[in-house]
Amino acid sequence: MSEVTGLRQPKRASVDLFRKLGVEPVPDNEKVQMAIRHIDEFRFKVRSFVMAMESCVKCGACAENCHTYLGTRDPNNIPAGRVDLIRKAYKRYFTVQGQLFPGLVGAQDLDLETIEKWYSYFYQCSECRRCAHVCPFGLDTAEVTMIGRQILFWLGIGPQLHTATAGAILRTGNHMGLTKAGIIDTLEFLAEEIEEDYEGLKVEFPVDKPDSDILYIPSSADFMLNANTLKGAAMFFKYVGANWTISSEITEAGNFGYLMDQNRIQREMVTRLMEQATKLGAKKIVWGECGHGWRAAKMYVSTVSDLPASRRIPITHIHDEIEAYIKAGLLELDPKRNDRKVTLHDPCNYARACGHADNMRVIMNAVVPKGAFVEMKPNREANFCCGGGSGILFDDPDMYQFRIQASNKKAEQVRETEADTLCAPCSICKAQLYPMVKEHKLPVEVVGLVDLVGHALVFRD
Amino acid sequence: MDLIIGQVLPYLAVVVFIGGVTWRIWRWMIPRIVHNIALSPFPGSWSAAIVWMLWQLATFWNLLKFDRSLWLGAWFMHIPLFLMLGGHITAFYTLGLQFHLAAPGIITPKLSLNMSDWIGTVLGIIFLLALVYLLGRRLVNEQTRAISSASDYVHLLLLIAIAVLGNLMRLFPEYHLGYAPVREYLAGLFLFNPQPLPEHAIFITKYTLVMVLMIIFPFSKLMHSFGFFWERWIVNRPFAEPARGLPGARLQLRK
Ligand code: HEM
Ligand code: SF4
Ligand code: SF4
Repeated sequence: MSEVTGLRQPKRASVDLFRKLGVEPVPDNEKVQMAIRHIDEFRFKVRSFVMAMESCVKCGACAENCHTYLGTRDPNNIPAGRVDLIRKAYKRYFTVQGQLFPGLVGAQDLDLETIEKWYSYFYQCSECRRCAHVCPFGLDTAEVTMIGRQILFWLGIGPQLHTATAGAILRTGNHMGLTKAGIIDTLEFLAEEIEEDYEGLKVEFPVDKPDSDILYIPSSADFMLNANTLKGAAMFFKYVGANWTISSEITEAGNFGYLMDQNRIQREMVTRLMEQATKLGAKKIVWGECGHGWRAAKMYVSTVSDLPASRRIPITHIHDEIEAYIKAGLLELDPKRNDRKVTLHDPCNYARACGHADNMRVIMNAVVPKGAFVEMKPNREANFCCGGGSGILFDDPDMYQFRIQASNKKAEQVRETEADTLCAPCSICKAQLYPMVKEHKLPVEVVGLVDLVGHALVFRD
Repeated sequence: MDLIIGQVLPYLAVVVFIGGVTWRIWRWMIPRIVHNIALSPFPGSWSAAIVWMLWQLATFWNLLKFDRSLWLGAWFMHIPLFLMLGGHITAFYTLGLQFHLAAPGIITPKLSLNMSDWIGTVLGIIFLLALVYLLGRRLVNEQTRAISSASDYVHLLLLIAIAVLGNLMRLFPEYHLGYAPVREYLAGLFLFNPQPLPEHAIFITKYTLVMVLMIIFPFSKLMHSFGFFWERWIVNRPFAEPARGLPGARLQLRK
């Protein structure tokens, strides 16, 4: 709990950090007024936001379908309740009924207390959009969360985690603050590991190589936490003989800008991407395992960026490519090498925002023995979030406890499968599921999907 | 009273309803669909997207799948509502001969009148039961109560009142009114040739409540009936996947 507000809130970023990102925090006595002004602007810009404000019938169907409500039983975590944190003010200032009969229609003046609640509840929402999937109208609470977070950011309120990550993006082009030297160092080490583990197999990890046909965008977390995913990707590229490279300027499949400051930081990353792809002569950009980042690339680049490269250079996901190569019969895979009972966690952004439910299954069925893959229930686009979506990977004690609660449903789903391996092909899912597995005492290993591909590829020459 | 409720309020209600709905939709059209936030799996084409929306509309599919107990109330409230709206228009216009006029060879005028009576009565009862069920659910279901405000109950109570009065006129011969006098009165309104309101207390009360409903409609969550289409237009749309294949790789996908 925050000592000041009595609410569950992540640790805040300092004023200095905000200034580095070009934001001058708004003094308390002006916050309410500024927030109202921002809402007023958004209602003329973003239709999905307006529809969420104006079309909900308060039926409550979304409640039992949001993992944060299931984990906390806090009415403000009911998707429609979360939206109400803004909607009450929206009604009060921008609707006839709210101006005339506030009590009747549930309209309320905005105050600082409510803004503190925004900070609490918009950072408990994982923007997983399961609520949109189940709502009879498709109303998308994540759209409201995004705008709530954007306004908070402009007021100078944001979590240390997200804000510091945004700082790292501006410095280095990736979330972890990796430098070129560090990147090359790690990759050399990974190449050695592959050589040891796979009978002298020589795999290269080209960095900033000019005239590369393929620009591969790994998650920076793969350099530290999920090295097998990065190795698997390199082995796949080696197998098909791709002329590929990684760019040290944009070594990041994620996009924390998309999660907090779509206006500036998200654009910044897309701009960097387009510059680097152009500079390296890439004909195609291939994305690594990261859910929100992949959505930000696949679904947002064409509308976030006007740069010519964003029209000329197609972007696909490495799963798309692997799937196509498998379907064409061009990969020799030995499923016996992945002889384990594995279940698949559909990352929300893949399944509900990017249409990946099929390709992950094509790959999975090709890389594990028949019958070794068990579905969790529900799955595909109805799957529950891991609890860490939208980067809410806070480790201050109170928020950490929330993360574990929010993953109650996930733990239950995984336990029912009796699997020994939990495949979660997304960096944030992985970062959330490592501690989740520990706290819920689940006997599973968390892996990526490309990891399994790399391990099953049969190299002959 | 005849002047205000019978001759002024109806025009006011229609103007507020049509004007208000147009204004709300006008405002929805100002903000853009900024990014493609479609829910996947993406429909293959716009026609597939529209079929999906109509399927959702006809079956309340999401509720059926994710909240069965709510579906029960929602579907059995809305479908009779839609049918009865259509029924009111056609039955008053044709004086209950709508089925005969639709299939003259098969359905006699008498049968048509009977059908109109029976279908209307049955739908009216289902509608009322479903509304009461929804009200009960809103009071009992802890999550729904937590997010409700007073107006959510008011809408239900208003519809319940309308349904009760309608059923009274249907079920009790002594309260019955019949299509003809109402048609005469309504025709007067349409042709700007004022005719007196039928002198029938239950009818006048029900009629007034319907006009109240029309007036609050554009300023309430009842706009969800249009919001449904506007929101699904955002989240159910096709997406063109880029081609697969790695340019310059040694192994190439066959084209
Ligand atoms: C395209 C047309 C419409 C669609 C797709 C639609 C759909 C829905 C859905 C999915 C719900 C939530 C489930 C529920 O609570 O019952 C709902 C609730 C509701 N609808 Fe509609 N509706 C439509 C038209 C109307 C109309 C014309 C009215 C009344 C004049 C109406 C009145 C209501 C009311 C009062 C509720 C709230 C019920 C409650 O409190 O539980 N709807 N509608
Ligand atoms: S399911 Fe949709 S309409 Fe129902 S309460 Fe939730 S957001 Fe509102
Ligand atoms: S986006 Fe996910 S976490 Fe957020 S309200 Fe909807 S279901 Fe809950």
